[in-house]
Amino acid sequence: MRVRKLSIQNFRGISHLEWQPSDGINCLVGPGDSGKSTIIDALDWCLGARRTLPVSDADFFALDVDDPIVVECVLGDLDDGLKNLDAYGAFLRGLTDEGDLEDEPGNGLETVLVLRLQIENDLAGQWQLVSPRAEDLGQARGLSWSDRVSVAPTRIGTFANQHLGWQRGSILNLLANERADASAQLAEAGRQARKSFGDSAGEQLAETLGIVDEAADELGVGVGEEARAMLDAHSLNFSGGTIALHDGNGVPLRKLGMGSSRLLIAGLQRRIAERSSIALVDEVEIGLEPHRISKFLTALGSKQAEPPMQVFMSTHSPVVLRELKSPQLGLVRAGQNHSVMPAGHTDDVQATLRSAPEGFLGLHVLICEGATEVGLLRGLDLYLSDCNRPTFQAAGGVVVDGGGVSRVYRKALPFSELLYHAAVLRDDDVQPDAADEQRFEDRAGTVFKWTVGWAFEEELFDCLSDDGIENMWEFLIGVRREEKLVEHLRNVKNGSVDIDTLLSDPDDDDRALLAKAAKKGSWLKRIDIMEEAAHRVVGPDLVNMKDDFTDVIGSVYEWAGVDYD
Amino acid sequence: MTDVDLLDIRRGSIVAPAGCGKTQLIVDALSNAKAPLPYLILTHTNAGVAALRHRLNRQGVGRSAYRVATIDGWCMRLAALFPMRSGYSDGLQPKTPSYPKIQKAARKLLEEGHLRDILPANYAGLVVDEYQDCSVGQHAIVYFASRHLKTCVLGDPMQSIFGFGQNQLADWEGDVCRHFPTAVELDRPWRWINAGNEPLGRWLLDARQELMAGRPIDLRTAPNSVKWSVLQGGNGNFDALVDAARVHHRAAGETSLVIGDSRSASSRYRVAKRIPNMVTIEPVHLKDLVSYAMALDLGDGYSVGETLEFAESVMTNVGATDVMSRVKTLKAGSGRKPPTDFEFIVMQVLDAPSYQGLAAILSACSARSGTTVFRPSVLRAALRALELTSDGSGMTFGEAAVRVREENRTVGRQLPKSAIGSTLLLKGLEADHVVVLNADELDARNLYVAMTRGAKSVTICAQGAILNGQTEYKGASS
Repeated sequence: MRVRKLSIQNFRGISHLEWQPSDGINCLVGPGDSGKSTIIDALDWCLGARRTLPVSDADFFALDVDDPIVVECVLGDLDDGLKNLDAYGAFLRGLTDEGDLEDEPGNGLETVLVLRLQIENDLAGQWQLVSPRAEDLGQARGLSWSDRVSVAPTRIGTFANQHLGWQRGSILNLLANERADASAQLAEAGRQARKSFGDSAGEQLAETLGIVDEAADELGVGVGEEARAMLDAHSLNFSGGTIALHDGNGVPLRKLGMGSSRLLIAGLQRRIAERSSIALVDEVEIGLEPHRISKFLTALGSKQAEPPMQVFMSTHSPVVLRELKSPQLGLVRAGQNHSVMPAGHTDDVQATLRSAPEGFLGLHVLICEGATEVGLLRGLDLYLSDCNRPTFQAAGGVVVDGGGVSRVYRKALPFSELLYHAAVLRDDDVQPDAADEQRFEDRAGTVFKWTVGWAFEEELFDCLSDDGIENMWEFLIGVRREEKLVEHLRNVKNGSVDIDTLLSDPDDDDRALLAKAAKKGSWLKRIDIMEEAAHRVVGPDLVNMKDDFTDVIGSVYEWAGVDYD
Repeated sequence: MTDVDLLDIRRGSIVAPAGCGKTQLIVDALSNAKAPLPYLILTHTNAGVAALRHRLNRQGVGRSAYRVATIDGWCMRLAALFPMRSGYSDGLQPKTPSYPKIQKAARKLLEEGHLRDILPANYAGLVVDEYQDCSVGQHAIVYFASRHLKTCVLGDPMQSIFGFGQNQLADWEGDVCRHFPTAVELDRPWRWINAGNEPLGRWLLDARQELMAGRPIDLRTAPNSVKWSVLQGGNGNFDALVDAARVHHRAAGETSLVIGDSRSASSRYRVAKRIPNMVTIEPVHLKDLVSYAMALDLGDGYSVGETLEFAESVMTNVGATDVMSRVKTLKAGSGRKPPTDFEFIVMQVLDAPSYQGLAAILSACSARSGTTVFRPSVLRAALRALELTSDGSGMTFGEAAVRVREENRTVGRQLPKSAIGSTLLLKGLEADHVVVLNADELDARNLYVAMTRGAKSVTICAQGAILNGQTEYKGASS
């Protein structure tokens, strides 16, 4: 079975959502509160085998309980049992390739059922199949209980321990058609326990028993000869979850780490994919080291051309994204109407997913021309954070290394096309492809650049205050060998350089010389060095720097919604 | 048993001469079926459905292994479930089902392939019984269904006697065998083997071959269990026919069937009236009852008279006219003899007509000494309809009669010890002894159907020993 379409109305933060998920993995990505877990919960509530739901007023959109919560799933790739004419004949529908529903199944259409969960202000869930012609016939029904059990998705939540024993709803019950019938033995064991426990508690509780006897005697309540403390038969209640998985040493697998148990359950789910073909996974990465994330995803079928099951999951981890193919990604977009955008399957998106997965996790994606700008933004953030001021990162900003001016738009365009709030920060000494830049700006992308014709170094050394320049030199000779820097200067100037004069009260020529040497000698073209330089030197100097520099920085921060002045 | 598993047949037919274990073949196949889905078994009449179900139940075949329905019933259900694709809008309980319309709708649904994934999700395969009775339209439906389901059809072209009027049957050689090539022809006469009378079974199989080839059969070549009752003076010799129809059962529990004139129900009633304990097999439409019930009006003063006339049509010694005039005399106070119990009841009901009263008249009438009920199934249906009318259900007598008729359709017919009917009415029934009253007038297929009803003996009333099998048989109506 597969969910072909999902629609949600008035559920938590989602007023309205329509989505056609893909057959295999659907990894939902989006900023916090964009509705990822709401979507997963909606699927769970609609498809899960539950008789009641833990609904509260807060589950209604804008707390308006008079607008019912409606979750509708169009279910395709149906098992034979769900196409049963006796049970569901009047409810079978047809779905076109384009995703349009027709009232009846038909040649060339996929046969589907439409299952709707509706929650009114009485907070009780109603599960019904939707079919106009059944309604005309006066027929109404939901899925039978056994069918609900068979379509119910396996939820691999943060704590997946419920799947490690044989309690109701456990995945273990689906692995094979067998049941341990322990009730008789357990009842017998219970009797034995009661017997051997006997009156052994009597001594420890002698005083209490004495008081009970006295009181009973006084009030004429018959307790026989005397009250006894024995094992309560009711406390020996052996129900479903009594039998659980244990390791060879008898340690319950429940004691496995969170990651291990999630991993094991994903592997088990894979084995029952034919019968229970939908899995819901919250926050894939929880409890899993990076190398196990890959195993986990493989267990869920992420690498298979014919997906063995349909998986709905959410993540905040670039490691997870790097393991996925772009068609497996759904970008959740909040707004008047929520939507889930498929990331698509172009090479550029796939390449960006590999090289800059963190970009997909941001609210504001700043694609920088190179390592220098990445370091700059990170360092400035560190400085702002030292000053207890709001940072770019905290505002949901993510910095992506564009890999040089010729490649920056190959990375930036996918983001703008996927409706990310995206911007490019680039040098102006070498121009990128103008058509690419135009396309980017047409899709609401913003371009930040330094003064016309200038690279970052030229802007930096032009705008730093005198003290700033001196501090920068101090910093540089702390991380690089001074003789080398001097030699760079000498080569650029084609003559001897006196550092002291150069640094004291530097004029435009001195600044240009420093910039040129910095560029040639790649003084700042390493993320870590630039990050440190921005943190220690540029940040503290911002107040004294020339506007040409601080204006660009300010507008980048403001673009990301950071209060910056 | 033939070692063919009909469920293995992808698309084909099984030719099953009468009494060769066709139903057992279906039952055996289903009891060994291993598919996770049920097989769909289609036949023609509700009585056939009931009989098959009964047989399957009796042999302990699990209900999950099969679904049994009539072709038309199944078609109506499909058409009603998918009205847009089928173009059928009368729903599941139309007032008067239009079968041509239903068949057209189901055909459209299947031919256009709208159920291509749904049928295989519901059924492991399709088996159609009594296929020789399929109309051209029904054959098309089965053919299109066989695109999606493996399909085996069973039947015997020599038992095809339903084709008349508008109901054009599918041609066995031309239509059926083209789409469903013959997989096997059953050739062990189980009905007669089981009755310890294999020679008769073998002779009937040979006779079938001869008749099918258009050649005559010679009663003098038949084994002893075939009795030729020479009719001198032709069919006009009614006494001779009645004599022949008086079958003497050799052992308790034996049964006999008499095949009378297809064109004249009344001539069959005349035979039945003459023979104690012989009853009629009635067509499912129960026309006499329905028209009696429709016409009856408690307030018009005729209801008692009409009821007595109806009684006269189902039992002997009613004397409706005499009873009415005697009651008139009694009411006028001029009768010398006091009223009998029966006459007393009639007078009471005349004063205050009621459905209960009419039922009482019918019951009392049938209980009179010297009276035998020769159409008990019609009388039973009438009493049941009167009961339904007077129990406050709000139904008129006419509606109740129709209701009873429809109920009866779905119940398998129970064979009385000794019964008379036509080939059409007796088809599918079997007894220990059969008497064919008018063999000279039967065509080859009717003759074959008639002769194969008896397991222990066959009595044939004919003028000569050579039976040609009339090429044109005009005994269309039952």
